[in-house]
Amino acid sequence: MKAERLFRVLGLVDEDLIEEAASPAVCQRKFPLRKALTAAACLVLVCGVSFAWLVTGGFHGMGSSAPGESSGSSGSGIATDNEPLHVDGTTFMSYAGPVFPLTLTEEAEGLTAERKTTWDFVPGTYQDGSLRQWGATVTDSYTLVNITENDQAVTALYPFTGSFTELASQQPTVTVNGEEAEGALYAGAYAGGFRDAGVDDGSTWNLQYPDSWMDYKALLDDGSYLNEALGDAPVLDIPVTVYEFTDFTAPANYDAATQAIEFTIDQQKTTVLTYGFNGASWDEDTGWRQYSYFVPNGVRRDKDPKLLVVLGEDIKDHTLGGYENGGCEKEIDGVSCTVTRREMTLDQVLDQLCRNYLETYADWQYGMDTDELAAVPFPLFRRAVGELMAEYGPISETVKDRYAGGRLDDIISETMSMDRVLYLAVPVTIPAGGQIDIAFELWKEPSFDYGCSGSEHVGLQGYDFVTQLGSNLAFTEQRAALANTDSIQIERQNFGFDLEHGVTRVTLNPETEHYYLEIRPKE
Amino acid sequence: MEDSEIIELYWRRDQSAIAETSQKYGGFLWNIAWNVLRSHGDAEECVNDTYLRTWNAIPPARPFAFRAWLGRVTRNLSLDRWKQARAEKRGGDGMEVLLGELDQCVPAPHGVEQALEDREIAGFISAFLRTLPQEPRIMFLRRYWYGEDLADIAAKLGCGQGKVKSSLFRTRKALRAYLEKEGVTL
Repeated sequence: MKAERLFRVLGLVDEDLIEEAASPAVCQRKFPLRKALTAAACLVLVCGVSFAWLVTGGFHGMGSSAPGESSGSSGSGIATDNEPLHVDGTTFMSYAGPVFPLTLTEEAEGLTAERKTTWDFVPGTYQDGSLRQWGATVTDSYTLVNITENDQAVTALYPFTGSFTELASQQPTVTVNGEEAEGALYAGAYAGGFRDAGVDDGSTWNLQYPDSWMDYKALLDDGSYLNEALGDAPVLDIPVTVYEFTDFTAPANYDAATQAIEFTIDQQKTTVLTYGFNGASWDEDTGWRQYSYFVPNGVRRDKDPKLLVVLGEDIKDHTLGGYENGGCEKEIDGVSCTVTRREMTLDQVLDQLCRNYLETYADWQYGMDTDELAAVPFPLFRRAVGELMAEYGPISETVKDRYAGGRLDDIISETMSMDRVLYLAVPVTIPAGGQIDIAFELWKEPSFDYGCSGSEHVGLQGYDFVTQLGSNLAFTEQRAALANTDSIQIERQNFGFDLEHGVTRVTLNPETEHYYLEIRPKE
Repeated sequence: MEDSEIIELYWRRDQSAIAETSQKYGGFLWNIAWNVLRSHGDAEECVNDTYLRTWNAIPPARPFAFRAWLGRVTRNLSLDRWKQARAEKRGGDGMEVLLGELDQCVPAPHGVEQALEDREIAGFISAFLRTLPQEPRIMFLRRYWYGEDLADIAAKLGCGQGKVKSSLFRTRKALRAYLEKEGVTL
């Protein structure tokens, strides 16, 4: 029931709003005196602001040109006295990442490149046929010129931002000399970091996605991110003991019948990971643990397996109990399951769980359709899960609070949706003294602010572009162009486009690392 | 006792944490459960379940806004219990009425809908609520977060019931339009 989901979703609105509503100020009818006082206060405030404006000569930076942007802010890109200056573009609430330049797996002597990038703003349509101005088709074309006397065989790598969830719509297509070509896909690790949960305590409960091109610069600048993406996957051949729970039964008169397993571990010697469990309790002092799940009554095997994965010393003397509900307080009879103990490696466990996850993903209410699912290559996904586990999971020396509880469900599901940089690898040969054309076409979602955030940037669509970041190519020229601009207007930019005067093609300054374009659909 | 001190008791596994929680927030939680369930016994059990869930969740959790955090647990438990009661054809109809009203906020399929996680949709809704003036925002949350009657809301806010009703109607319509605009599907 949709309203029921909405009711549940409403439960997750920001806590300060809930607090505000819990202690409402009584809405009194306003009296004339109060109105007069309010108006007087506003007048004082306006006068104060004007005075401050005069003595400071306006806020710093307003009306000045953008430093370090030699081909930049012309036309609509110039800030007026009434709007803040966006020296480096707007920081949006949802950041789509820049369009990156092509690079090669290894630097090639005697190879130069020309680049032309076009944003095509032809509108899409809603299901009912009405026009929808959202995103742009980007064609990023390169001419690779070989000035040596030998043919050069290289692997071209085209980086793009994305996630496994969105891969079907984000993955570029590639042509070499006008012919469609195939490319192998590589996926970099999670591109973001972690942050606290609202209290500045250094904790790492929340994800922190990249929110500017500078975050990607920090990620890609030294080449280590790409090297890791192309390198070997982490090996997690750690021996583990796996307890799998199957053949569930529970009395029919309990809707939330719960099965729990209890045991006590030496926390220095044993780490417990779970998958498919709904609850966990533990005592840090004694090492007592309890893990529980709602019994999928009458089902031999739930679609999601239920596993306890024990690293280190095996658990001893575990007990199973059946309970009325997830509180695990009131015991009931008739709750049972089969527990199978196996010895495996952590890699084997992750293999099993990742396959299961992808196979059942489409069944979820938020799932993909079949085509989208097919776009997620199992080896890449599986590898990314291993990377996240090794880098930030309970087996890592730098474990993050978010994953310290050992829930493999979280690690696997978040691997699917995390922002990362992916690479399309295309082998090409450039003949001696000759050249080839290689072009990538991709649909690029814009960066944006949420519709009713109250932000001044609502309705803006931002597109970022970097000229050199992460590339080992020697560019002799970079150009940019816009197409099908009838239904957009440019709000801010540092490219130098001027739609009013028909300037839709510009030559870029290779010394300028970052270009930005912010457009607004015309009404 | 300050919230942070109560949370510290949970972290120390000191059972007085539950007594302190009950003393400070028991009535608040009971009201939330009552608004959904309209059954004294069920509301009482939900509140007790809330304490148990809290005991199990802290640690590792360290809630930032403890009252809202507790209220959220009670609200979810109440909804679960209401569903269970509905299946057994017992209990009041307060929740049916609430959900009937919220049905008007559910966006119609249109365009490229986003398949979003609950938290992301909640983020959209929070952003939407922040654009409202304070009064309709509080009315909306008191009705659909706390599940309060129109009469209670009107009394607490010093307004007439008609004003609350028309404000809720406008906010529901605006929320529906907003969710459709954002391409959110439920």
